[in-house]
Amino acid sequence: MTFRAVVFVSLCVSIGVAWIIESGAADVFLEATRPDFQKIPLGIAGIENMGGSETPEGRVKLGARIEEVLKADARRSLVFALVDLPSLGIKVSHLGAEPDASFKQASENGVSVIVWGKAGIKNGSKDADLSMDGYVYDAGSNEVVGGKRYIGSTSVARLMAHRFADELVFRYTGEPGIARTKIAYVSELGTARELFVMDYDGYDPRQLTADGFLNLMPRWSPDRRFLVFTTYRNRNTQDIDMIELATGKRWTLVSQGGLNITPTLSPDGSFLAYSSSHEGNAELYRMDTHKKAVQRLTTHAAGDLSPSWSPSGRELAFTSDRNGGPQIFLMSADGSNVRRLTFDGDYNAAPAWSPRGNWIAYVCRTPKKEYKLCVITPDGQKHLQLTTGLGVDDSPSWSPDGRHLVFSSTVDGKSQIYMINVDGKDLERITFTGTHNSAPSWSPAS
Amino acid sequence: MKTLPASYLPLILGVIVLGIPACSKKAVRSGGDSQALQEEMARGEMAKGGAAKDGAHPSFPDTSFSGGDDSNSLRGLDRNPSEERLGGNTGNAGAPGGGHGNALIAKADSGAAARQLAEIRAEQVASVAAGLRDVFFTYDSFSITDEGRHALSGNAEWARSNPYAQLKIEGHCDERGTSAYNLVLGEKRAKAVRNYLVELGVAPAHLSVVSYGKERPFCTEHTESCYSQNRRGHLAVKTGK
Repeated sequence: MTFRAVVFVSLCVSIGVAWIIESGAADVFLEATRPDFQKIPLGIAGIENMGGSETPEGRVKLGARIEEVLKADARRSLVFALVDLPSLGIKVSHLGAEPDASFKQASENGVSVIVWGKAGIKNGSKDADLSMDGYVYDAGSNEVVGGKRYIGSTSVARLMAHRFADELVFRYTGEPGIARTKIAYVSELGTARELFVMDYDGYDPRQLTADGFLNLMPRWSPDRRFLVFTTYRNRNTQDIDMIELATGKRWTLVSQGGLNITPTLSPDGSFLAYSSSHEGNAELYRMDTHKKAVQRLTTHAAGDLSPSWSPSGRELAFTSDRNGGPQIFLMSADGSNVRRLTFDGDYNAAPAWSPRGNWIAYVCRTPKKEYKLCVITPDGQKHLQLTTGLGVDDSPSWSPDGRHLVFSSTVDGKSQIYMINVDGKDLERITFTGTHNSAPSWSPAS
Repeated sequence: MKTLPASYLPLILGVIVLGIPACSKKAVRSGGDSQALQEEMARGEMAKGGAAKDGAHPSFPDTSFSGGDDSNSLRGLDRNPSEERLGGNTGNAGAPGGGHGNALIAKADSGAAARQLAEIRAEQVASVAAGLRDVFFTYDSFSITDEGRHALSGNAEWARSNPYAQLKIEGHCDERGTSAYNLVLGEKRAKAVRNYLVELGVAPAHLSVVSYGKERPFCTEHTESCYSQNRRGHLAVKTGK
């Protein structure tokens, strides 16, 4: 392996530039590199522990934990390729706010960005603030281009890492990153299914409802303040409710007979699309969330459900069984211009339109009758199967950067939640406890 | 990475369950609620006679969003490190003792869950006492089988001789397929059962249908014998509302 001819890359540091590393050097940088996008080589020199920086459990040093979270965030960003600095013969320790002499050497080996920092608890007192400093060295300018100091309790140690990771992604892409996003989902408690919210990496789950029956299929409001979902009032009727995350306060948005399922707010929050069978069979409706006026979008003897907005809010993808088995259809947001999108297989459902607009993810049934994740372009020209093997995959939901999907699967037995890249790589399980976790919904970024 | 969640999640969950009732924000919430309720009522008055119809609730907050101001948004990397305090409005403020004074608060009303459980038991007892039989379906199908017809004729007889009873027909599906589409399939199954009972002379007013899709399985193994148990039209005597 040679590390030649990459130095010039370090001159290209700027926002929003797709990184092009000279051919031949790409495979030097270790982790998955794709032909269409070259990741930015990033070295994490370490988050040093200062005094008193052990966790309440006393084992893992806080600095090490923050570093671990930061590395995982950088890897999942798909913007950075993590470079193992020691393997380049670069050892850095006891760093201050100034760049180490070895950084120059690292940049000559093609490393574009080096971050490091320190973490510790002030005064070592029990309930004291945790402080974390992070620095960013940019090989292009051969200087420290930025830093951050985060203060908070030890319970926000992970958030410090997430926030720092998102700042890095923001600096190098102009997009906010996904490390501080959340995933809403349904989890089983006894025979009940309740709404929960966790960090995007599966940590810090919090219970939102305790109704004792079924709450299903949550979806975020674009401002991340609310979830809309289906709830079974008195176990016998389905309503569509909205819950405010900060307070637990709830409102009923739709309350009528029959099925009332798959609610989803438009990207600007001004419309709620949902499926209801109160006029006979499952049809799609949209409600103006300001005027509260309801408009019926479909009229068909078959079931229409699972609307998913295009990023512009001008179109909807949805499931319909008007041709027998369920298939994915598209239409304009006013219900006009309906056309069928999927033709392969006899079961395609649960569409989710990517926030970048270029893909629609859905559940496809394979010839072996396995329920797997597929993606298709909105023009139907290209489609791919992302997952294979055993287990029922369900409920795909996009990350706000359009690079990942979260979904539920029974591949390991009980239904759990998984993450996968849009190219089918980096399958990662993110829930590990409980008898059933399903219906994940990825929050917008902030 | 893979081992950490397994050891921490039960702990965190425990903290949530135990910690929420003592959460310091609770008082704030109840105060905020009454104010919000007044605002809600005011809006409700204004919306009266307006566009709300078709079961739309008149008074939920406007969810339209134009981006922009957000206390949680990134502030950028600076040459001179700016200090940011995490917690409070950004969420994840740590309460003493490892509690979670987060912006996300569980609505821990365990009374509701206990009441549901009691009602479900009462319904089960009444349904077993009535001797109602369930109907089973084949994969992907909502057609009533011959065996199903036989079961339903007995159920119809019971319904005719108990004209004051309200019957609930639940449509259930096996775990294969999507949650959302199985709710539609479950409704088709429940309606097929209802229609057949009506053919047999049961008054439609005494029958209601509800779909549980694959969300309340009778059996949780990944086997055909289990799946066939879950593809079901379940009949229950309604005891509550």
